[in-house]
Amino acid sequence: MQGRQTANHRGCLRPGRPTRPVRLVPLLVAIALILPGCARVPHHGPTEIVYWTGWSGHEFDIQRRLVEEFNRTHPDLRVRILSQFGNSGYQKVRIAFAGGATPDVMSTVWADELAGYARRGVLTPLDDYLKRVGRDLEREFTPGVARMLRVQGRVYGLAATTNTCFIAYNRAIFREAGLDPDKPPRTIEELDRAALACTRYDAQGNFLRYGFRPGGLGTWAYVFGGRWYDPDTNRITANDPRNVAALRWMASYSQRYDIRKMEAFQTTFGSTETANGPFFVGKTAMWFTGEWAEQYIRRYAPNLDWGWFPLPYPPGGRPNTTASGGSVFVIPEACRNKDAAFTFLNWLTSAGPVERFCLEIGNVPPLIEAGNRPSFQRDPLRRFAVGLAQGVNSFGPPPIPIWPTYAREIGRAEEAATLGGKDPQELLDSLQRRMEKELKRAERELAR
Amino acid sequence: MTTEHGTGGTVGTNGIHESHLSHRRPSCQARRDLRNGLLFAAPWLIGFTVFIAYPIAASLYFSFCEYDAIRGPKWVGLDNYRTMLLEDDLFWKSLWNTLDMVAFGLPVGLVASLGIALLLNQRLRGMAFYRTLYYLPSITPIVATSILWLWLLNPQIGLINVLLQKLGVANVPGWLTDPAWSKPALILMGLWGAGGGMVIYLAALQDVPEALMEAALLDGAGALQRFRHVTLPMLSPVILFNLVMGLIGSFQYFTQAYVMTGGGPQDSTVFYALHLFNRAFLDFRMGYASAMAWALFLITLACTALVLRSSARWVYYAGEGA
Repeated sequence: MQGRQTANHRGCLRPGRPTRPVRLVPLLVAIALILPGCARVPHHGPTEIVYWTGWSGHEFDIQRRLVEEFNRTHPDLRVRILSQFGNSGYQKVRIAFAGGATPDVMSTVWADELAGYARRGVLTPLDDYLKRVGRDLEREFTPGVARMLRVQGRVYGLAATTNTCFIAYNRAIFREAGLDPDKPPRTIEELDRAALACTRYDAQGNFLRYGFRPGGLGTWAYVFGGRWYDPDTNRITANDPRNVAALRWMASYSQRYDIRKMEAFQTTFGSTETANGPFFVGKTAMWFTGEWAEQYIRRYAPNLDWGWFPLPYPPGGRPNTTASGGSVFVIPEACRNKDAAFTFLNWLTSAGPVERFCLEIGNVPPLIEAGNRPSFQRDPLRRFAVGLAQGVNSFGPPPIPIWPTYAREIGRAEEAATLGGKDPQELLDSLQRRMEKELKRAERELAR
Repeated sequence: MTTEHGTGGTVGTNGIHESHLSHRRPSCQARRDLRNGLLFAAPWLIGFTVFIAYPIAASLYFSFCEYDAIRGPKWVGLDNYRTMLLEDDLFWKSLWNTLDMVAFGLPVGLVASLGIALLLNQRLRGMAFYRTLYYLPSITPIVATSILWLWLLNPQIGLINVLLQKLGVANVPGWLTDPAWSKPALILMGLWGAGGGMVIYLAALQDVPEALMEAALLDGAGALQRFRHVTLPMLSPVILFNLVMGLIGSFQYFTQAYVMTGGGPQDSTVFYALHLFNRAFLDFRMGYASAMAWALFLITLACTALVLRSSARWVYYAGEGA
């Protein structure tokens, strides 16, 4: 009090300075201007649904066309589509979840991440919604996709696309190497023999061409009959003897070939899906790829005489193994109008839109009905890919919250065995111990 | 009681003392200046508090928490630090890789930029052009440089190996495809950015007094002796500066590895900051990553303190006791 009096006494207020209420006017005006922007104006007309998609470019255009069609046929709803592509787009999702500022529907969640999000309670379980419209996940979707969409018994997402993997091979090189291009390898042994037969060196022992180099332990473990996780016991199975066998086989290529030279040779041709990818320029006879390969071959090597065969398997292994992943459609828990959001999601993942989207972007439909339509069955490669996806040996990422970390660690183990010459058994034993601990930690964290 | 005039700098004085202190009480003008000054500085002050001070404090708190960026942080005490030191093999690997860069990359970079600065300190025609030329790479975006060097370092068709083969080297290095050569490859690439340090050396070289040089010349000192006993001591404060900045930069080495190798081959380029980034943004273990960040801070602090302590013995500040 005393201080205030002194201050006034000193007459500190400048002459001509507006008094307090007057000075508040600009502030009030500013507030008056800002506030209406913050308030949600009650609006009449269609309910708006905000949809984040991870697709961009050509694929985004097709999504947008589908959205336009939905808006046309559903006058009471209006979907607004936004592209959030690339790594930053997918990272933005995490921040949106953290702030509860999510859109109503999004496809910007990787299958790898689904369990982590679901277990953290930020996704809407879709079981009741599916039941209400009479949809049945297991009957409608391919087995691999259906398994990956269920987390602890409940459905947390739907898919509009899936992928398959197989080996594309250069028929001309097969002929030149004395192999029958109409009888591609069916067993691991035949694959190894074909790979050796197709490999060529120059006088200094540098590669001119290599037959095949196995990569992707995550998938090959399934081919050998193994698996990474047992859902029945909720146990990590990284050192399953069949996983070890798969890694041993992959590492055997490092003994048979000078792997450093092969690596150097491979890097010469840039990444596999560019114009000078080794398969397109005839520098490798076989390429571990998927149905998307066809688009690239058409673009970069239209005259290539090529074919495809499912991943060869060892005795006791799994025929026609394929692994899938990709984007999952979810409805965030923070969504304000879940019924409307589901109406859109249900439409977008029904046979018609899925068929069109997959046809346009060259993916495999995860819906059995869409895959069985003539558009997929008439074309031999599409029919083959659909068959793989619908088969019993199609695997999605295991629905465990630590899978992104686990998958990266599998890649490290693969490198340590194939490039570093480390013992596969030891590597996978160590992986087993670390991932058990990691899963336990995650479960503890999620339980709190 | 003293709120009003407290801002004037007499915090804590009470009414009794006020009469004695009244002559020291700031004038209205001074108080207005202070207020205006604070107002003008407010954007920075607010920015600093919100975007720097608070996050730093929060990260210290998070380092003792389990935090996935979706649900709130949960206190776990020293768990993150214990896991980091005892269980995370990549933590040690990444620390080792980073120390490798500090121990080898940093001195090589320092010597190179000093060498170039000495060369570019000659009085020759068109020197400004050469200086620009050497400086240019250090203002090129690191990502662009990295992509370019991916091609240069290609083991089979890269310019560097083609040149080595022309020179008769039979067993050319695999560079980024070989764990033994991946770090040397990155160090080699780092030399391309030596222009940044060079500019600072060049400025310091202009400050080496002519008189000292002349005196040394008259005393019969050769070029090497003049460098050793005149130039180097005069440059030592700048060397210290470049050393400390380089040290901090090396501990944070990230972009090149992120763009070019992703940590491979066989974890040979998983540097501390890259591992931290992966833990934070791939595994979303923000608490753990915060703990790593604070550990890195302490390590960098310790190394910098060591360097600064040792500097008393080798840094010469002109004018000091002269």
